[in-house]
Amino acid sequence: MLDLLRYGVVLSFFISIFSLVILIWRTFSYGRRRVHAASAGEARRGVAYALGRGMMPWEKESAQKHLPTYLAGVIYHFGVFSGMFYLFSLVVPVVLPALFLEILRVLVAVGLLCGVGLLIKRLTLGYMRAISCADDYVSNALVNFFLVLVLLDSFHLNLRSLLFLVTIILFTYIPAGKIRHCFFFFYSRILFGQFYGRRGVLSQK
Amino acid sequence: MKDQETGQDPFQEKINNLKPEDLRRAVELFEKKIHHEYAAYLQSCVRCGLCSDSCHYYLTDKDVKSVPAYKLNLVAKVFKKFDSLIEKTVPGMTNAEALTTAMVEEWVDSLFGRCTLCARCALNCTMGINIPYLIRTARGVLASLGLVPSGLQSTVDTAVREGNNMGIAKQDWIETVEWLEEELRAEVDDPEAKLPMDKKGTKIFYTVNPREPMFFPLSIVAVGKIFYAAGESWTFSSENYDVTNYGLYSGDDGAAGTMSGRLLKSMEDLGCQTLVLAECGHGFNSNRWEAPEWLSKEYGLEVKSILEVVADYIREGRIRLDPSKNPEVITLHDPCNLVRLGGIVEEQRVILRHAAEKFVEMSPNRTKNYCCGGGGGQLAMTRFASRRLKTGKLKADQIKKTGAKIVATPCHNCIDQLMELNKHYKMGVEIKTVCEIAADALVIDGKKKMAPMAEKH
Repeated sequence: MLDLLRYGVVLSFFISIFSLVILIWRTFSYGRRRVHAASAGEARRGVAYALGRGMMPWEKESAQKHLPTYLAGVIYHFGVFSGMFYLFSLVVPVVLPALFLEILRVLVAVGLLCGVGLLIKRLTLGYMRAISCADDYVSNALVNFFLVLVLLDSFHLNLRSLLFLVTIILFTYIPAGKIRHCFFFFYSRILFGQFYGRRGVLSQK
Repeated sequence: MKDQETGQDPFQEKINNLKPEDLRRAVELFEKKIHHEYAAYLQSCVRCGLCSDSCHYYLTDKDVKSVPAYKLNLVAKVFKKFDSLIEKTVPGMTNAEALTTAMVEEWVDSLFGRCTLCARCALNCTMGINIPYLIRTARGVLASLGLVPSGLQSTVDTAVREGNNMGIAKQDWIETVEWLEEELRAEVDDPEAKLPMDKKGTKIFYTVNPREPMFFPLSIVAVGKIFYAAGESWTFSSENYDVTNYGLYSGDDGAAGTMSGRLLKSMEDLGCQTLVLAECGHGFNSNRWEAPEWLSKEYGLEVKSILEVVADYIREGRIRLDPSKNPEVITLHDPCNLVRLGGIVEEQRVILRHAAEKFVEMSPNRTKNYCCGGGGGQLAMTRFASRRLKTGKLKADQIKKTGAKIVATPCHNCIDQLMELNKHYKMGVEIKTVCEIAADALVIDGKKKMAPMAEKH
């Protein structure tokens, strides 16, 4: 049964990738836009800024003003990547060194706390509820549940089947909901960098 | 805006009378306007809410409808209705909604009435979503339904019909320039000084905001004086000189292209080399960045802001400025379309540092500056005037904190809004264009000592 679920995880991963590719293809099917205005700055510098310094809190007022949320978001993502790495080690499978596993547990645990914190923020603040939809709650809850199971499994609790099952659901859901931002985040930041970089608005140093 | 006789709001009536086929056509147009960049942006918002405090509307009214993500998602909801696979499988999952009359009403209220397209949210967005451009796209859909708020639409209509947004007759424009030429001659004490009209083959083709000949004619003399001092080869066109383009704000690409295309044609007819745009934020964004897209055409000629030209004169030593002629504390308001969306950030500072003894920055400034509240066509949309004044409090407070006596801003829309804020919030400042301040400080060798430009806004 466990082997079957392990294959299920691998299969759902590829389904997720395939679906994301379809999604990207559909996005590009809206047509490319040729830019006619002569450039004043360098698009690539804008992109470098958008993907680097431009994401730092000292560069962005929104991150400064919402520093706890910003940091929670960053830590949450570290937790998710750590959880994914743990999952990878189970699927391959490889035994992780003890110290490495300890670090991973801490990252997942702190990430989980941040994820729960972000969910509470979304549930309790009026303006957050006003901009939220079911997908926001489902995505957050699903990822949080995944992190809980990663954490418990790492302590040798017998939850691997459930972990694999939730992972299958998570992977299948990625292209359907907001977790698709695992692709769109980078793409949007690149487009943003190109747009404002060409105009000489973003740092040209 | 209710009709005083009937007690009805004709604009609201228009929304109520929308037929299903009107809405279907509007959605088809919306889909047509989406290219892959917009499609990517519309799928990117994670509704983190970090954008909330970047918007001057939300900062002043704390209404969730003013949160940029809320406004963006009004557009995204309609997009998801025809694009999202999950919505087709599990309806309600992403809050996708059809374009109904209720949604149209909300689009008008939020996308026209709660946004100046200032792009502050875009620069603060975690994902980098170009929110103002998506909002403008939706405004274009509303324009196709005839639902651009009347003041803004009539400004566009006048510009398309008359060639300039104030409806100035050609003869009046020519006579105004002739009168201003006399003013310039008196200013520089040179009977040969000119404000050239329809001169062929000049280096510069200069455009103005039609509010200048109507209400602020000495802004034109100020630039004429700078060109005179620099010995520039330049001209106005008697036909097309309007730098403004309210099609940028109404979202009507067709009308916007018509307006900008006229400037280009007049310039090509006269065989000039560089299109120089007067101090006008949205005029700069329109003609420098957007017009080539509206016209699907690479210009193949230079398009510059007058600020770039004047800053170059200073750097090259073509003009000399005496800052002691501007002894008051001067601060600078950065117009969003010129700075955050246009990339003209330092030129105005170069000019003011040379032209004024005490130049102080507002905080925040440059690309992080707050919108004054007058952009996005807000000054033309009287139905949202009270919101516009309320959002301006942020700017008024910013200005007061500098302790400045003069606020310089290279944009006539901003000037109009700042003048209203000046009265409303009792700021006690004088508002001027950057070139007016530079002209006041001009040193013209061998001529009589220049009197400061008398115009006060």
